[in-house]
Amino acid sequence: MSRQLAQRVAFGLMTLAAAVVILPIFYVIGYIVVEGMGAVSWGFIAEMPRDGMRAGGVLPAIVGTLLLTAGTAIVAVPIGIGGAIYLSEYAKDNARTRAIRVAIINLAGIPSVVFGLFGLGLFVIFLNFGTSILAGSLTLGIMTLPVIISTAEEALRAVPQSFRLVSTSLGGTRWQTIRRVVLPQALPGIITGVILGIERAAGETAPILFTAAAFFLPRLPSSIFDQTMALPYHLYVISTQVPGMPIRIQYGTALVLLVFVLSMNLVATLMRRHYRQKRVW
Amino acid sequence: MADERPAVKIRIEDLAVRYSDGTESLHGITLDIYAHQVNVLFGPSGGGKSTLLRTLNRLNDLADVASQQGRVLLDGEDILAADYDIIQLRRRLGIVFARPVPLPMSVYENITYGLTLAGIKDREQLDSAVERALLQAALWDEVADRLTESAYALSGGQQQRLCLARSLALQPEVIMLDEPTSGLDPISTFKVEQTLQQLKKDYTILIVPHSVQQAARIADWAAFFLQGELVEWGSGHELFTAPQDTRTEQYITGRFG
Ligand SMILES: Nc1ncnc2c1ncn2[C@@H]1O[C@H](COP(=O)(O)OP(=O)(O)OP(=O)(O)O)[C@@H](O)[C@H]1O
Ligand SMILES: [Mg+2]
Repeated sequence: MSRQLAQRVAFGLMTLAAAVVILPIFYVIGYIVVEGMGAVSWGFIAEMPRDGMRAGGVLPAIVGTLLLTAGTAIVAVPIGIGGAIYLSEYAKDNARTRAIRVAIINLAGIPSVVFGLFGLGLFVIFLNFGTSILAGSLTLGIMTLPVIISTAEEALRAVPQSFRLVSTSLGGTRWQTIRRVVLPQALPGIITGVILGIERAAGETAPILFTAAAFFLPRLPSSIFDQTMALPYHLYVISTQVPGMPIRIQYGTALVLLVFVLSMNLVATLMRRHYRQKRVW
Repeated sequence: MADERPAVKIRIEDLAVRYSDGTESLHGITLDIYAHQVNVLFGPSGGGKSTLLRTLNRLNDLADVASQQGRVLLDGEDILAADYDIIQLRRRLGIVFARPVPLPMSVYENITYGLTLAGIKDREQLDSAVERALLQAALWDEVADRLTESAYALSGGQQQRLCLARSLALQPEVIMLDEPTSGLDPISTFKVEQTLQQLKKDYTILIVPHSVQQAARIADWAAFFLQGELVEWGSGHELFTAPQDTRTEQYITGRFG
């Protein structure tokens, strides 16, 4: 009897815990969708802001976020995957490798605003890139590296050792084995990690605050040395810095950002599921 | 009769292998592997048979080997020498493992894998290599019209013969098989054993059988391993009918192991 009771109490608590996690997510998403829906129209997405951002659309912020996201990927993907291949396939388990791992873990724990300051010091000022898409992409890219390296390394390690053994036994060099067998098998996992890492970068404000973001820019950026507007920063600006801001524009912007980020998430999830089913090992 | 020995393909001299966890898996191994014969390594689990195979094609370079002493002469050349061309060595000594491990690609791509690594791209050459290897591995009839299917769509026995074909495609000189039939049913096992008899015309065979019975059935030459030591070796007939060492006798009559 008391054991059954304990069982029921435990089950109830766990259900509650799950609800505490899930309900706020649905509430937040639902709330933003309901409130923002009214503001979002074709014009909202495709037009420049007008009237001190109190009217018109968010096109430059969307374009800016797209550019920063692409820039982040260009910076972080090759270095991240390269680093993961090194750690999983080449590095010996020695003091140097352990030091690298510690560094990666620490990098992942650094608050994003610190990355912003680092980017300001190194890219904007020292390397003289100015407040620019380039500096912002580099900053976001470095911030994203630990996520990509860890997930990619995990995906590489999940590929069975026996494949490497077989490939080697057939006269494969280490690199041939990686390129022909290990990497293709790990790729779905790697891409999922890449999307999740970059998606996080797309929603960040602090790292671009000092490195890339413009308060208001009535045109689209024309080079990587231009400043740019970006959705998360724009949302911050119109929520706190502009008096008399219509609330529906705020929620509309939040909705656009949310859709952008969640659709990346969805792509990652679908891809992972698709390849899980196709996997033979 | 004892002196009519075939040509030596591999001469192993005083070989010792120690893993970095301290286990000395082989010591003082001196053994000849004869060309165009079925050479059998057998003995209880942990005797070092797999270690020996992986040493011969330097696959153990990937494992945690702490020290390796002695010499292994392939056609008179020491393959353990530091500057020996390992990639070429592995093409000359094919290996098939106990559990079939098809690569996650089609049947055709599995068989041509080693060839394409070697830079062969000519479609006709690859096609004919696939057919030849599959015929030699007695698999052609079963998969001739399934070449583009995933290798994982084949049955276990077919997968094992696919792995054999994959090694054969490189036209190695020696084929090493580590308990190739341990996961197979009697009929598939019989097929593989029959295939081996065909193969020894073209290849030197070095096999770890999965049972004493199989060892006795197929061995031209046999070597009995016990805990890293080579207890005795000689012609299969002599070793299985009149073993010199009591430990060998006890093992083959089933009194231990
Ligand atoms: N990669 C490795 N690292 C450390 N020790 C190993 C490794 N591989 C094998 N050994 C050890 O070496 C000894 C011989 O193992 P090996 O696999 O060569 O024996 P085997 O004769 O093939 O046995 P089985 O019949 O079970 O396959 C064992 O004690 C084993 O634990
Ligand atoms: Mg073994």
